[in-house]
Amino acid sequence: MLWDYFKAKEILDKYGIRSIDSRYIESAEDAVRFSKNRPIVLKLISEKELHKSKAGLVKLELSDEKAIKAAYEELVSKGKSLKPYRIIAQAMASGGGVEAIIGGREDPQFGKLILIGLGGIYVEAFKDFALRVCPISEYDAGEMLEQLVSRSVITYKGKSRKMLVKLLMDVSKLLVENPQIKELDLNPVILREKSYDIVDIRVLE
Amino acid sequence: MKELKYILKPKSVVIVGASRIPGKVGHIILQNYINDGYSGKIYLVNRNEEEILGMRSYSRVTDIKADGIDLAVIAVPAEAVPGVLEDCGKAEVKSAVVVSGGFAEIGKQELQDEIVRIAKKYKIAMIGPNCLGVMDPRSRVNTLFLPSYKLAKPEIGGISFVAQSGAVGSTVLDLMAGEGFGISKFISYGNAADIDEVDILEYLMEDEETKVIAMYIEGIKRGKDFIELGKRITKKKPVIILKAGRTEAGATAAHSHTAALAGSYEAHEAVFRQFGFTIANDISELLYYSKIFASEAAPAGSRIGIITNGGGAGVLTTDAIASSRHMLLGELSEKSKSELKKVMPPLVNIANPLDLAGDADDRRYRDALTSMASDQGIDMIIVIILFQTPGADSRLAAEVVAMKEKTSKPMVVLSIGSEYTEMHKMMMERSGLPVYDSPRAVALSLEALYSYYKYKARFG
Repeated sequence: MLWDYFKAKEILDKYGIRSIDSRYIESAEDAVRFSKNRPIVLKLISEKELHKSKAGLVKLELSDEKAIKAAYEELVSKGKSLKPYRIIAQAMASGGGVEAIIGGREDPQFGKLILIGLGGIYVEAFKDFALRVCPISEYDAGEMLEQLVSRSVITYKGKSRKMLVKLLMDVSKLLVENPQIKELDLNPVILREKSYDIVDIRVLE
Repeated sequence: MKELKYILKPKSVVIVGASRIPGKVGHIILQNYINDGYSGKIYLVNRNEEEILGMRSYSRVTDIKADGIDLAVIAVPAEAVPGVLEDCGKAEVKSAVVVSGGFAEIGKQELQDEIVRIAKKYKIAMIGPNCLGVMDPRSRVNTLFLPSYKLAKPEIGGISFVAQSGAVGSTVLDLMAGEGFGISKFISYGNAADIDEVDILEYLMEDEETKVIAMYIEGIKRGKDFIELGKRITKKKPVIILKAGRTEAGATAAHSHTAALAGSYEAHEAVFRQFGFTIANDISELLYYSKIFASEAAPAGSRIGIITNGGGAGVLTTDAIASSRHMLLGELSEKSKSELKKVMPPLVNIANPLDLAGDADDRRYRDALTSMASDQGIDMIIVIILFQTPGADSRLAAEVVAMKEKTSKPMVVLSIGSEYTEMHKMMMERSGLPVYDSPRAVALSLEALYSYYKYKARFG
């Protein structure tokens, strides 16, 4: 069962894993109020669609009222076949950055696994990821990054390595301490040299 | 821990289902025991015979007057196995290899559960069912029902090879014998109803005759126990694993990207990597890595020195090294350079790779090897010998073997060619010097060696 987005966000907060400012909205006006003149993103969340971007359920860079309203109407119309669904408004992640995926799952043989890889919509195309059994040590987290073909891109030539190692260890801790979580996707996590934004969260129980 | 010592080092063996008819499994097993010169006591059981190959045959295990036989090799039809095991229990037999098929692998789980129950009741350590069993060239135990003329016989050595599948097991065993490496134990454990991969690894971890473990597995029965064992075993000795099932369909309807990416094979691979196992992607890699680990040399770093008598082969090998993950071409020290300048003919360019030219003989190689072996900038040495050239002969092969004895640096030979090359390859390999026939094989093997010792070094 898919967790409610904000229940998932809350548990991440508890482990010091920051995700981007978000809110459910019930109308286009709601979304306009949330935006406060900064560019926002609207997303439709439904258990029936895992690949939101490909299905056109993510509307990026909505910077004025007109664009927000149009995007909202479009999502509502697409949502007819995806009920039940919710629409979420999010602050737009600041520019630049590399999209990564950090995830976890419960393996029937070995227990909790943690994953990091090149993320976003290319996840399944490149299949560049590293996997370990939880809990991971600091060394393991470093080795995971080392294993990636895209390591120099993801770590900004090693500059964001420390931040990522900590993030991985926090996620590992979350996975171990919450046995009810069967699957976790943080995808994409937008990585920059000194900060990251978790833009989408999926937790399955 | 399950007592594998009675299976691998038995003082007495009973072959149940021994047969006088050539070609029958029970005949081949007996014949192999006789041919291999097993020195313990052999008893035979066959309900319908009184004598087989001049030896007395009993109709039941319980008829044998002996106090506690160490091992029963059971090769009777599946439905007769429970009765035989029950007899073994009463006669205080300590362990069993159930060669017979016809259990869980064809859906007869209940019959398999029954024999496990009997084995547990009498504390019989059981391998199988549906397996080839074991071979230990030191104790001359051989339960394999494969005619000996069809399978090259491996020498005694330090590699223990464990295979869930008998077919892959015997194939690799045959290849290992052909490659000239020595075997410590061969264990094919089939359905793993009682003794499984974790038990076997526990035993081999402590076994002093085993220096390297190579494994072919289809699945792991006890994942968490395997992880706990993994934390200890690779600190003691290298374990190479070939796992089948890479292409198995993952979770069909994954609800997350993580589950779609990381299926069961990937989970196994993650565990192997995390706990210092060496992953082989195919049978060739399993053999490459077994060979280099068997040479028991640990590299201090990842800098490679190359000596060659062919320019092209040197370049191809340099390319293979350059495209590996961790290895680098080393820089010769000033000391090596000046030493080499004194002894090499002017046509030899003093650099790494060190191309000794097509007329290089054993003496030129010896000078080159001596410098590289003592050069602080070189951690591992690749010796390329193209035996087609005029100077390369048996003296050169002997010289390289002698150098391997003198240096603690890992050293491998790359030789590409047919008959004459093959002959020298065997000479060198029998002396514990790994020989490969492609730059790719050399690069993969040195990388595996380096990665393992890097892992091990973390724990001191």
